[in-house]
Amino acid sequence: MRYAVRALGWATKILWILIIVFSATAVYSAMNVRISFGQPQAYLSSGFVVLSIPLFVNNSGFYDLSELNMTVDVMDSNGSLLSASSTFVALIPRSSSVDTAHNISINLDDDTSQVQFYLFNDTVFNLDMSLKVEFARAIPFQVSMNTTIPWGAPLYNFSVGQTSYNYLNLTHQEVIIPISFENHSPYFGVDGFMQVEIYNDNSEFLGSSVSGLNVPSHSSYEGQVEMIVDVSKITGSGEVHFYFETSTFSIGPVVMPYG
Amino acid sequence: MVKKGQTKTFARKFVPRIVKAALLVVVTYLPFYFLSAFIEPFQSFFPWYEPLTSIFAAVFIIFLVVGVFTSGTIYQYMFGVARALVTMIFFIYTLNGGIIALAVPIEEVTINIMVDLRVILAMLVLVCLLGIGKNVVQAIHFVAGKVEMKEL
Repeated sequence: MRYAVRALGWATKILWILIIVFSATAVYSAMNVRISFGQPQAYLSSGFVVLSIPLFVNNSGFYDLSELNMTVDVMDSNGSLLSASSTFVALIPRSSSVDTAHNISINLDDDTSQVQFYLFNDTVFNLDMSLKVEFARAIPFQVSMNTTIPWGAPLYNFSVGQTSYNYLNLTHQEVIIPISFENHSPYFGVDGFMQVEIYNDNSEFLGSSVSGLNVPSHSSYEGQVEMIVDVSKITGSGEVHFYFETSTFSIGPVVMPYG
Repeated sequence: MVKKGQTKTFARKFVPRIVKAALLVVVTYLPFYFLSAFIEPFQSFFPWYEPLTSIFAAVFIIFLVVGVFTSGTIYQYMFGVARALVTMIFFIYTLNGGIIALAVPIEEVTINIMVDLRVILAMLVLVCLLGIGKNVVQAIHFVAGKVEMKEL
């Protein structure tokens, strides 16, 4: 009985020492872990807007960090998921650092009405961010936050002005359509081509034109497209179809009335 | 003469216990004091910690003092078990069952922090269980010793 009591006493003491040493070194190590984010960089890659956030983890503590997992979900104001991205680092050994980047990509090369909405309207995106890491292979730690980021539309307030006609001859006239928009995007310019097709009230094709676009971020565009059309088909009103082919996105037809 | 002898016996019996209890109280209270001082800057995130610690410290010290004064009796081990139980409940309650979740508002954003301390809690509970086991075994040993003495 005496030996059992003595053994239990020693076991208790050893366990207390282990707990105290582990807790003290764990707190000290946790205070020596630095996780920082760099300045986000935006770039374009085959129809995707990629937002790259540099992630730097310096583990100068006594224990390894394992299974670091960063996830970011981007949702629109209605809660629809636009992008889900994650970055996984299996192991960050003690006295070492990791320099990586978390990439969030949003597909703009899509012909859906949702993407059209983002190209023509400013909005706010909701960001769900979470960072999980296992400390000393024993203590899972998680930080999460919700935030919003404003989205600037590259073709904000796209509008067709008053159509005018220039007389050329008895059979043909030149149609002039003023076009304007503002590039509210902080991330990219609108560089590429815009094809314009004009149709009359009977949906008969009248003519088409291709214009070059080069509109940097936070600047506005005011221009006009000119095309020669058959006089006999002009009805005074109809539809204009726009097709955009830029380095960032391809979209069309965007249909707008004229007249 | 008899009164003087009784006073001497009382002093010989209880003065060392009072001194021991006082020393143990000081030694036990010091970690609580330093832990509270360490937690103080983060007090707003752990509003439940301070009152709980005071209650726990009071209960723990009462059991400790009573345990010292009842040493040499079976009650010493009963209070030892009670002390270990209180400690276990305190750890489970303070560590919120091993999952600590905090919401830290920074400007317009709320950052949620979650730490899973179940491994540490398991170790702490194990220590408490070992303490309970030790006290139970000691109590059995004590009772067995008493019975042996009676039989002799």
